[in-house]
Amino acid sequence: MADKPNWQKVFKQEFHVVNGVKTAVLRAGHGDPLVFFHGGGIFHGFDFAVPWTEHFDVVIPYHPGFGDSGDIPDLGDMHDYVLHYLELFDQLGFPGKIRLVGFSMGGWMAAEFAMEHRRRVEKLVLIAPAGLRVQEHPGEDLFRIPPEQMPSYLVHDLNVILPHLPKEPDADFLAARYRESTTLARIMWEKPFSIRMQQWLFRINVPTLIVWGENDRILPVAQSQSWAKLIGGAVVKTFSKAGHLVLDESTTAVRAVSDFLT
Amino acid sequence: MDDLKFYFMHFMPYPYLPADFANHDKWPSAWVDFSNSFYQPERGRELYERYIGEMVLADQLGYDGVVVNEHHNSPYSMMAACPLIAAAMVPQVKRAKICLWGVPINLELPNRLAEEYAILDVMSGGRVEVAIPLGTGMEYWANPINPATARERMREAIAVMLQAWTADGPTRFSGKYFNYRYLNPWPRPLQKPHPKVYLVGIGSPETIELAAELGLGYSVVFAPIEAQLKTFERLRELSAARGHAVKPSDTPIGVMAYVADTEAEAEREFKPHVGYFFENLLRTSPRFLAPPGYVGLEQFHARASSGHDKAHGHFDWNSATQHSRIIAGTPERVAETIAHWADEANSSTIVCHLHLGDMPHWKTVKNLTLFAEQVIPRLRGKVALRAGAVPEESVLPLGK
Repeated sequence: MADKPNWQKVFKQEFHVVNGVKTAVLRAGHGDPLVFFHGGGIFHGFDFAVPWTEHFDVVIPYHPGFGDSGDIPDLGDMHDYVLHYLELFDQLGFPGKIRLVGFSMGGWMAAEFAMEHRRRVEKLVLIAPAGLRVQEHPGEDLFRIPPEQMPSYLVHDLNVILPHLPKEPDADFLAARYRESTTLARIMWEKPFSIRMQQWLFRINVPTLIVWGENDRILPVAQSQSWAKLIGGAVVKTFSKAGHLVLDESTTAVRAVSDFLT
Repeated sequence: MDDLKFYFMHFMPYPYLPADFANHDKWPSAWVDFSNSFYQPERGRELYERYIGEMVLADQLGYDGVVVNEHHNSPYSMMAACPLIAAAMVPQVKRAKICLWGVPINLELPNRLAEEYAILDVMSGGRVEVAIPLGTGMEYWANPINPATARERMREAIAVMLQAWTADGPTRFSGKYFNYRYLNPWPRPLQKPHPKVYLVGIGSPETIELAAELGLGYSVVFAPIEAQLKTFERLRELSAARGHAVKPSDTPIGVMAYVADTEAEAEREFKPHVGYFFENLLRTSPRFLAPPGYVGLEQFHARASSGHDKAHGHFDWNSATQHSRIIAGTPERVAETIAHWADEANSSTIVCHLHLGDMPHWKTVKNLTLFAEQVIPRLRGKVALRAGAVPEESVLPLGK
């Protein structure tokens, strides 16, 4: 990796302290705030978010337990993150509504946030969100996937993520992934979904876009219909030749997000 | 002063693996996802009868204790519920201690475990000893318990168990993981204040701290001798700082031993079964060893850098006998070696692995017998161990 990836040149990292927890926030661009909740692994970076900075003040916080953010000592469920972000948004001076985009585990987080605090959300984009129990189309249990097989689960075209993976065994890389999976375990070892979403997703009454890669091997694209059924008026867009990391694999998907939010 | 005590420990494995099990690519693990379709209950029945018989023989031969333990989803152990095995032994093992080393406490409700151990203690007339493991990483893939909070949960569960045993009930317990409105288990253990309790593990810093804090013993398993000695040193330091003396009986050591008339015979008869144990039964993957959050980040990083986890499922006799307590030889040599190990660790409880892997019954009987008749008598009363550092108030001269 000779060259810094593009997103590292564009985004500036700032730090906030949220209820005692150091929180790293990537930020770039101007306009209305667009908050992106990342998924359960951040090794593939945020190149996909660069085009959004042309239209929005793009804010990408590292969730506690990821990247340069600290840990929430007693992290126990998704609600801890909802509270963390209510507090961070107050600190960032977002009194009004935000455009909220969440991917995978971050999609689950965004959905819970919007379901509970719909008045703080202008528009919502859920990208291959986790967290819904869909018995007809069950997702793969992340913890069952051996690390060496994970890349092929994440993408349709392996070339998309090879540059982000170490070529030799790398203890730092492995330890960073171990920290992430430890954080995920605190949220979803017992069950990788939140049963209350079935009951309460109807409360999301803001314009919602659901984005999915048609070749998603972790959360099957058919789950998009269950989300659409529960969130009134939600629009579903699926993208061909794209796996779970749909934003990394499809520039059309990236554009669809900003078009929807504009 | 503590004299040496000899406990016979059995893993009770299921030694009928697929014929091509030597192929690591095809069979990367004997744990967690190694299919139970290979388990044949008829063979299991024969093995239980044989293995429990070997425990009974150890009792008759004068061993001081018999030890069972517990693992899940693996042919490594047929004791997925070790209190049941202990219960089956109670009427037959008439004098030796019955040691459960033991149920990973997180896998049961702590009040129920307190009950099960108390029942065994009462039934056996106060012969129960308990070691509490966190459980290997593999147990957390097999059971729906969160590995990321396992250490904290274990700490609380131990507090529940000790409270259940020592305080007259009903008492309340209000914790993060357990809330008891009426902690009042019947029966209570026969031994007062409760059966001897150790923690047992591979020497992770958190567990040593906990053992020192609670004033419990600690047994290190599956670590090289040098690492075990360091762990004991650390335990003694931390315990002393908290006013607890670590007695030689608080730090049991494990020994894999085989006795024969000549060294060559002993090695020839023992080696394949030790190999079977390490190469086949212990074979598992780094992922299964360290489920998310099971080890601290620093420790994980150290393991990932050193290739530590790759040691599982591989065996080299020379390297193993150099770094682990494995001895095959004449009675004299085995006795001398064990005396040295006990002395350097200052440990009086010798946990003897005299059956391993696919060792047949005849060898087990021969080994158990020779060890009892020719090794133990060479050691009893012969090894002078140092008494633990006793907290000051208890050494005040009488009358003061």
